[in-house]
Amino acid sequence: MPQNYSSGVKPIFCPGCGDFGVYAALTKAFQDLNVDKDNLLVVTGIGCSSSIVQAFGCYGIHSLHGRLLPIAMGAKLANHDLTVVGVGGDGDGYGIGSAHFLHTARRNIDIAYVVMNNETYGLTTGQASPTGLKGYKTKSTPFGVIENPLNPLSVAISAGATYVARGFSGDPMHLAELIKNGITHKGFALIDVYSPCVTFNYLNTYDWFRSRIYKMGADSHNVGDKGAALKKAIEDEETNYEKLPLGLFYKTDKPTYEELDITLQNGPLIKQPMPTEDRIIELLGENR
Amino acid sequence: MTSVSIRIAAANGDGVESSGALLGKVAALYGMEVFGNRGYQSVIRGGHVWNQVRIGDEKLYSYGDKIDILVTLNQDGINNQRGHLSENAIIIYDPSKCNIDGLNGTTYRLIPIPLLDTAVAAGGDPIMRNIVAIGAILKIVGIPMSVFEGVVKKMFSKKGEDVIKSNMKAATDGYNYQGVNRSYDIKGDGKPRYLVEGNVALSLGAYAAGCKYYAAYPMTPASGILHWFAAHTNKGVLYKQTEDEIAAINSTIGAATAGVRAMCGTSGGGFSLMVEALGLSGMTETPIVVVESQRTGPSTGLPTKTEQADLLFVMHASQGEFPRIVMAPRSVEEAFYLTADAFNLADRYQCPVIILMDLFISEHFETVSGFDVDSIKIDRGKIADQGGASGRFKRYELTADGVSPRSMPGTKGMAFIAPSDEHNEYGDIVSDILAGIGEHVAMRVKMHEKRMRKIATMLKNESVFVPVVQNEDAKHFLVTFGSTTAVATEAMLALNKRGLSVGLISFNYLLPLDAKKTKAILNGKHLIDVECNFTAQLAKVIMMETGIEIPDRILKYDGETLDCGEIVDKVTAMLK
Repeated sequence: MPQNYSSGVKPIFCPGCGDFGVYAALTKAFQDLNVDKDNLLVVTGIGCSSSIVQAFGCYGIHSLHGRLLPIAMGAKLANHDLTVVGVGGDGDGYGIGSAHFLHTARRNIDIAYVVMNNETYGLTTGQASPTGLKGYKTKSTPFGVIENPLNPLSVAISAGATYVARGFSGDPMHLAELIKNGITHKGFALIDVYSPCVTFNYLNTYDWFRSRIYKMGADSHNVGDKGAALKKAIEDEETNYEKLPLGLFYKTDKPTYEELDITLQNGPLIKQPMPTEDRIIELLGENR
Repeated sequence: MTSVSIRIAAANGDGVESSGALLGKVAALYGMEVFGNRGYQSVIRGGHVWNQVRIGDEKLYSYGDKIDILVTLNQDGINNQRGHLSENAIIIYDPSKCNIDGLNGTTYRLIPIPLLDTAVAAGGDPIMRNIVAIGAILKIVGIPMSVFEGVVKKMFSKKGEDVIKSNMKAATDGYNYQGVNRSYDIKGDGKPRYLVEGNVALSLGAYAAGCKYYAAYPMTPASGILHWFAAHTNKGVLYKQTEDEIAAINSTIGAATAGVRAMCGTSGGGFSLMVEALGLSGMTETPIVVVESQRTGPSTGLPTKTEQADLLFVMHASQGEFPRIVMAPRSVEEAFYLTADAFNLADRYQCPVIILMDLFISEHFETVSGFDVDSIKIDRGKIADQGGASGRFKRYELTADGVSPRSMPGTKGMAFIAPSDEHNEYGDIVSDILAGIGEHVAMRVKMHEKRMRKIATMLKNESVFVPVVQNEDAKHFLVTFGSTTAVATEAMLALNKRGLSVGLISFNYLLPLDAKKTKAILNGKHLIDVECNFTAQLAKVIMMETGIEIPDRILKYDGETLDCGEIVDKVTAMLK
């Protein structure tokens, strides 16, 4: 019998919210991979998207705004037998948590990180987020955004993420594949998701995305080429956001942090024995 | 009791720190008591630094108010340390580096030794001029060269025979230098002791308690802990250096949720960044240990100086209310035992435990005869590991003692969500669409009360949340917490010698406080509050918890530690 990944608690998203598509894609990815529910840990931050953790019946941490990645890292380092999936929003991950985003990518910890990107702080009733496009009018930017939007894909590739993809919540089947491959990928995987906010974002609507997105073909883009990946990652900007490529931008195989850390060579930290009395006294002996 | 305080002073980079450690180790190995401390600034080269090593034949409680032997490698040493010299201090100096004209006609005993030339002649690096001086000190205090040889052989075993030989030659030349005579009669008891720094004792305590994960961002004076963990990552602990203190504490919470004993450490500035996550630990009832080693002042303050001004901060940091434990070790030895206990308390009550250190206790060193490792018992508290719960697992079950069994990811059928939002027994949040609705308002109250009930349970089950009394029958009592306790003990003994009836009441566990018992201890006694801050924070806590006011206070906030003599003089004046 397939495992049930639902807790029975419903997500709090608005009707029509893009995040429903991400919920469906995550569920499908877990099902397809048949991830052991007792060894699955979903860590989220704070925001509309992060409330998703309540809907899953696995282990979870609904953490602080922007802090899901260090929490996920700590859990993974404590028990790297766990499948750890980080899920959050763009304000959470690219705004308040941006330092953690850079450094977790750089460490290549084996975590899949799914970001529901709606250019908006939704749960605080609609302010522009760091990915908001220039001119985007919100409560916090009544005359339009004047800052340059953050490009999470090029940042992730530069910072050292080893799997970088983008999906669209309006196409959950495609997204589920990207998430699945991100989970099975050994290393830090970013899956950024265009996930429209139907309540506050009247600029980046489903229709706006649908007329601009296209799926990259395996023949047209070499995912192992970092330079080409960076070029693809800035195609949106280069085309004045007229062309938005979807799919896998970058993938490379590099040792994970867990594989390199000297302590973890002896297995998951949680399974390593407590120190013996002799060992403690031996270490005290260094002070003689 | 006989003791001698030796201060080696020079510029940063001259090897002062390692010389002090070497001298201390030799004395400890010979079976003497040692108490050392160092003074330094935020520079890597240059500046003026010192290391003071006090050696005695009985238990020491401070590094000594006055310098009995000064070794100075440069003129600054003479100029800056003069005010700290005891009346008949011995000054060992290099005549090629120091002008002593200003010392003519003083009571000091001047011993010129060409430290640099002797070091170079011994075939050594100029840095070995410290070793020449140490040789002279060994002669003066009566430690045979053979003890030094043993330490040097061990210390430089990896550097090869030549290094050992040149060090021995340099030290022997200092030992035999003309005019260097034995001047002190301190007896070693032949029982070798360990020479341990506060941060190392704390790290060993954590290690003994099975702490597997330590996260930190470098910050003086907590960095010694990260250095210890980083150096022992091949011994079954994982040290994670994070991008900031926010990531340090959050990753600690992640590791603790996954089931390992986890700790993070920093100073006040880094702790400020950790505050939000401290509340997360309280709300999700995740056991973590947080070390806060205080330095002087707000913002960057005096990064290389000490203070005790974060007590009220760590007791109250974070929005909202939740149970937490605050402890402050009173000695290097206690840093070991309290830290080990911190992990048991964190697991037993599923809350953050803060170990309040300060620069002085973190970085000074003391002899210890050993640690009673056998006494360290690991208690992980209530764990739900049986699996197969019928229906959903109630991670936050409303229990009578406030503690709900917790499960660890990987345990079959015991999944739950650890929520930073207010939640029900399953961990489902009651903040979003349910807040304000009748039954959920009631749940907020029940869940908050459940968590807060843990405080009453701690006070009922643990005996540690009261101060420790010495000289119970005394008329007057010094009142201290944490590191200041040691020097206050010395002051108490000195005051007793003067015929004054003085005792000591010291706090090592500060929160929660058993108010009733504490009040009973303090009531009716003449109390003198002694602490290193401006606002008398311990006295405030006592006032808050017991209603007892302590108007007599000895407060210090210049960044330096309290001197025994300072306390003795002030108390004597107060009692006149």
